[in-house]
Amino acid sequence: MTEFMKRLLKTPQGAIGILLVGLVMLVVVFGPMVAPHDPEALSPLSRYKGPSLSYWLGTDQYGRDIFSRLLIGARATVVMAVLATIAGTLIGALIGTASAFLGGRADELIMRTIDAVMSIPSLLFALLVVNLLGSSTINALIAVAIAFAPGMARITRSVALSVRKQDYVNAAIARGESSAYIIRREMLPNVVAPIIVEMTIRVSFAVMLFATLSFLGLGAQPPAAEWGLMVSEARRYMHLSAGILIWPSVAIAIVAVGFNLLGDGLRDALNPRT
Amino acid sequence: MTNTEDCPVLAIENYSLDYETANGPYHALKTINLAIKRGEILGLVGESGSGKTSLAWSIMRYLPTNAREPGGKILLCGDNLLEKSERQMETFRGRRISMVFQDPSTSLNPTLSLGTQLSEVLVRHRGLTRQQAWKEGEALLAHVGLKTPAQMMHRMPHEASGGEKQRVVIASAFACNPQCIIFDEPTTALDVITSRQILDLFVELQAETGVASLYISHDLALVARTASRVAVIRRGGIVEQGSVREIFINPQQAYTRELIAAVPDPAHRLVKDDVVATDEPLVKVENVSVYFGRKPFFAALTGRKMDRVTGNNAINLVVNASEILGIVGESGSGKSTLAKAMTGLNRFEGRIWFDGREICSSSDMDNAYRKDVQIIFQHPDASLNPRQKISEILSRPLKLFGNATDLDKQIGDMLEQVRLPRTHANRYPHQLSGGEKQRVAIARAFASRPKLVICDEITSALDVSVQASVVELLLELQKASGTAYLFITHDLNLIRQIAHRIAVMYRGDLIEVVKADEIDNPDRADYTRRLIEAVPRAAAQYQ
Repeated sequence: MTEFMKRLLKTPQGAIGILLVGLVMLVVVFGPMVAPHDPEALSPLSRYKGPSLSYWLGTDQYGRDIFSRLLIGARATVVMAVLATIAGTLIGALIGTASAFLGGRADELIMRTIDAVMSIPSLLFALLVVNLLGSSTINALIAVAIAFAPGMARITRSVALSVRKQDYVNAAIARGESSAYIIRREMLPNVVAPIIVEMTIRVSFAVMLFATLSFLGLGAQPPAAEWGLMVSEARRYMHLSAGILIWPSVAIAIVAVGFNLLGDGLRDALNPRT
Repeated sequence: MTNTEDCPVLAIENYSLDYETANGPYHALKTINLAIKRGEILGLVGESGSGKTSLAWSIMRYLPTNAREPGGKILLCGDNLLEKSERQMETFRGRRISMVFQDPSTSLNPTLSLGTQLSEVLVRHRGLTRQQAWKEGEALLAHVGLKTPAQMMHRMPHEASGGEKQRVVIASAFACNPQCIIFDEPTTALDVITSRQILDLFVELQAETGVASLYISHDLALVARTASRVAVIRRGGIVEQGSVREIFINPQQAYTRELIAAVPDPAHRLVKDDVVATDEPLVKVENVSVYFGRKPFFAALTGRKMDRVTGNNAINLVVNASEILGIVGESGSGKSTLAKAMTGLNRFEGRIWFDGREICSSSDMDNAYRKDVQIIFQHPDASLNPRQKISEILSRPLKLFGNATDLDKQIGDMLEQVRLPRTHANRYPHQLSGGEKQRVAIARAFASRPKLVICDEITSALDVSVQASVVELLLELQKASGTAYLFITHDLNLIRQIAHRIAVMYRGDLIEVVKADEIDNPDRADYTRRLIEAVPRAAAQYQ
């Protein structure tokens, strides 16, 4: 494990990625405790303030502290994105591995269905799901998870196909193991490495997808401190104070860049040949 | 050229090579001293990981970036290659020194025609025009014994057989009359009969051109037939070198003696011929055929006929209880296909009788059948799940077939049975050597106390000395448990040592089944005789 961390930190992508993601995780865990102000406390007298000692990043259209709102909104934004990605990955990985294991007609059927689903852009698909289920945070999570599953299924299947040809899978079949055991214990552990890499990169997509959904008013609802929602609400007042729009956007960008770099670093660290 | 007759073409003096790794430097080669004169073939023999190929690459000056060279010289006709720049080496490679690789299917570019690849060498190093080079290429191909050189020039690599491709590679290696050619296991990827022809071609061309050759191989018997001098390499150091005669008759080092003793000798049988053929054999394979390919959906709808690829063609075979039946044949002859059919990994037509029960398809193979018929695969790396500990790998057959009580003790006993320490249970496969891994695979197969074990080329991925000990273990287990083996291999010398009967397969057909000691009779089938002739005879000829 220490060997692995060393390899990860040796590449610049991995080191910066770890740093940024670590920072974001710190905010997620300790953010609400250190927030200097109540994120929902209105103060009509100090609206559209620029950065100052008491309001580090200024205030928004209702006079709420942007810094505190960002610290508290991290949980809603990042945790949601990570959860949605994990859920989507699990569904996709299971479908992909099962499809590769079954092969033949079943494989064709599953993969052509996946192709059909993938032809719909993920944002459009998420919008569709949210519209069907109604707009709420949980539904947005489900929508993102479902939108991610087909892509993950396809990636997993391509890795699982090469694992399927390995003799340890043949040995398990010849031994008369059940399909469930072979998929779960023999194949899945051997396809995790590429899946983890893909998952890390997808977290940043999920953050942006969530932000987009909230921006369109289909995710978190006001007065929640979700970052995408903050950008969406700030849009109308940006000519009064640009900071309201910029700071949440910067926060989203940091998360996206951090997870992307971490994914790149992991890809190199998990592949011993580079 | 400045070299005279007695000065060596290639001289390696006190050469060392290290690889920088995360755990400090790894000494790949230690003070190597070698010299090859003009017209001489030096055989370099060693097991996998001994540094053979590293040496070849350091002569070609194509080393990975983490390679360090603490000292020594590599002299090609007096020029120290270590001091040459990359640009100078580019003019050397192909023109003064060239290399033939193990697998012709990967050393040729699959998207260029054979003629393009061959004439490029000539255009680049001999300054010919395209047309001249193409003509010259045809002449070269004719020279290496290809029947239709003009057509061959226009073919793509996938349109030529392995032997033909290796001939093209050899032609391009000899194309510019280099001073030295390195052959890195040039016949290992080829069939027995083809590799015999390639070897004959190599010896012929070598005698004709007088090029100094470094012939790298893991196969002592093969080197004995081609080389005049042999150097034995072990863990990066030369253990012993001398003429082939000296090495075989009077080996100085214990390691060399071990290597020579490990080469299978068909005259030295390791089993007793005490198997009685009964009317009730253990396994009877009746008209078993295997076809590959799935009928496309539209073909099924329109009822169009489809040509299927035949893997096995109506095979009839009998295995008696506690008998070792060898199956030999070239790659693609359907040996493994049959093994997979018998373990339910391939769909088959026909019937298999096992212990009086009739098996018509893989769905008839119930738990009892799978318990009695076990398979061991060729590559232990591939057949053991890299993410599972040895204890989990070995516990599966116990949970499926035996009693799962007191697992730890049973797993320990299994490991001891294959002569591995009990503590190996806590390790992962990658922490074990190739031979140890194959022992674990053997232990897994024997866990259910099977009546028939199918060994699919289980020794061919192992080094000679490891192979000998694995075979010894298998024979011991057979003696103790009375298990019958279906031993699939392409190593005729080995199978003649250990099998009671040998089945010869060719392109999916079973040619014949003969007693092991009668396989070299002159009244055998034509193909069997050719196979026997092509096999390099063991070291016995020197003793």
